[in-house]
Amino acid sequence: MNKIILGRYIPGASFVHRLDPRSKLILSFFFIVVIFFANNVQSYLLLGVFTLFCVYLSKISLAFFIKGVRPLIWLILFTVVLQIFFTRGGQVYWQFGPFSVTHFGLVNGGFVFCRFVLIIFMSTLLTLTTAPLEIASALEALMLPLKKFKVPVYEISLMISIALRFVPTLMDETEKIMNAQRSRGVNFGEGSLIKQLKAVVPLLIPLFVGAFNRAEDLATAMEARGYRGGEGRTKYRVHFWKRRDTLSCVLFGLLTLLLLFLRNW
Amino acid sequence: MSIHFKNVNYIYQQATPFEQQALFDISLTIPSGSYTAIIGHTGSGKSTLLQHLNGLLKPTSGQITIEKQIITPTTKNKALSSLRKQVGIVFQFPEAQLFEETVLKDIAFGPKNFGSSEQEATQLARQMAHLVNLPEELLEKSPFELSGGQMRRVAIAGILAMEPQVLVLDEPTAGLDPRGRAEIMEIFQALRIKQHLTIILVTHQMDDVARYANHVIVLEKGRLLASGTPTEIFSDPDWLRTHHLALPQATRFASALQKKSGFEFSKMPLTEEELANQLVQQLGKRG
Ligand SMILES: Nc1ncnc2c1ncn2[C@@H]1O[C@H](COP(=O)(O)OP(=O)(O)OP(=O)(O)O)[C@@H](O)[C@H]1O
Ligand SMILES: [Mg+2]
Repeated sequence: MNKIILGRYIPGASFVHRLDPRSKLILSFFFIVVIFFANNVQSYLLLGVFTLFCVYLSKISLAFFIKGVRPLIWLILFTVVLQIFFTRGGQVYWQFGPFSVTHFGLVNGGFVFCRFVLIIFMSTLLTLTTAPLEIASALEALMLPLKKFKVPVYEISLMISIALRFVPTLMDETEKIMNAQRSRGVNFGEGSLIKQLKAVVPLLIPLFVGAFNRAEDLATAMEARGYRGGEGRTKYRVHFWKRRDTLSCVLFGLLTLLLLFLRNW
Repeated sequence: MSIHFKNVNYIYQQATPFEQQALFDISLTIPSGSYTAIIGHTGSGKSTLLQHLNGLLKPTSGQITIEKQIITPTTKNKALSSLRKQVGIVFQFPEAQLFEETVLKDIAFGPKNFGSSEQEATQLARQMAHLVNLPEELLEKSPFELSGGQMRRVAIAGILAMEPQVLVLDEPTAGLDPRGRAEIMEIFQALRIKQHLTIILVTHQMDDVARYANHVIVLEKGRLLASGTPTEIFSDPDWLRTHHLALPQATRFASALQKKSGFEFSKMPLTEEELANQLVQQLGKRG
């Protein structure tokens, strides 16, 4: 359970940590959109430097971001290889049937790789510096306008909060049950495929039973304390838009302008 | 099976910001055939230590010897499967491990994994269910239909059915009623006498330590604070209090009596019987 970096929060007090979760959420999405405007070396360089600057501001070691890329590396390489083989144009370096490696292909492959890495870095930055419940509450705040269209915003956000809240609990539980079954002679991740599948049963059944029991307890506890969602409910977590949030937005705006200026039209 | 820890350190989630050292330079011996109690404040590393006993955790540095098997940071998992049969661990709240369709099948799960035939395993399961006082009519029921206390018994029987030589118990009676607690502790005691098991018990119940254990290990914040016989460990009430450890009831009573009145206990009584005997003696002297 130690390897999952994507989606883990590292507490801290850096500039990025103290940003309002709403602005972090918006700016992360915004950045992902902006990345698709980059189309030459200069523009990618600009975005790369900017991302590294954000990482620097978070005071979190770059190693964690690189670890975040690792689980997705095969997906990235697969996409890059497809790009290289199927993009035509420019000087041809190698050809075999429908496959060819061209100048444009190589360049495009490089860009796709950069795009993936930048997106992963930015979203890792969001989850490393923002507690999951903060993200949920920011989502709720941002979805609020949808209430006009009868979207059950409070319910959705409660569901997300509860799900996020119980991820670590379920992970702990998984580890405990695995240890208990290992002690009874189960070997997880060893032997033939059938054997490995069979080993999952003594893990999943207790896990599900535990999760259902927990859900029932939680529902009872909420009802016992008179929980009613939605209208009129005050919040424990209140968001404050501060100067640094405005500053960040301005920074991202400038970045976009610069990018539009640098890209090939 | 005697057990030796030599300079064992253990760090959870090493090389991440969540890194946390749970054991610091632990060296200790658990003699073969002993009834060893491990006590310590919550979070002192008791459960972490236990998981080293069957190789669920491997030391970050240092070495553990269990009979002839040596566990070091680089020991392969394959080498540990025979150890898992010899050292049976009953975890904290073991009822979370139940999963089979029937109680009997669940108890037979361990022995089947360790190579017993279906028939042998079922027979062992019946025997162990009887040993932990599970009524016959429950055996074909689903384990999820039982009460908490009955589930606990099923889980314990599941470990006993592996016929381990070392039985490791992590707070086996937490959350049970007093009668159930006493009953389960008596079952372990009887097993120890009959089958010469080595028992390692983690508990916050000092009365159980006083009554059953002959060797006590005290942990504090991941370090070994003391080890010795219960008499040695419980001889100094003030020392225990400064380390946030409780006294057995009889010892607490004796200690209070010593402070308030003229009673003098040369050897602190650990159990009610010892207390009564000493009181009778001293009252006899006074006439
Ligand atoms: N899976 C884990 N990951 C990270 N840290 C852990 C993990 N399990 C335990 N710890 C930490 O290791 C330390 C020792 O925990 P351990 O569970 O061994 O204590 P314990 O003595 O069994 O406590 P208790 O009496 O409450 O059961 C604690 O500080 C705990 O936070
Ligand atoms: Mg514990």
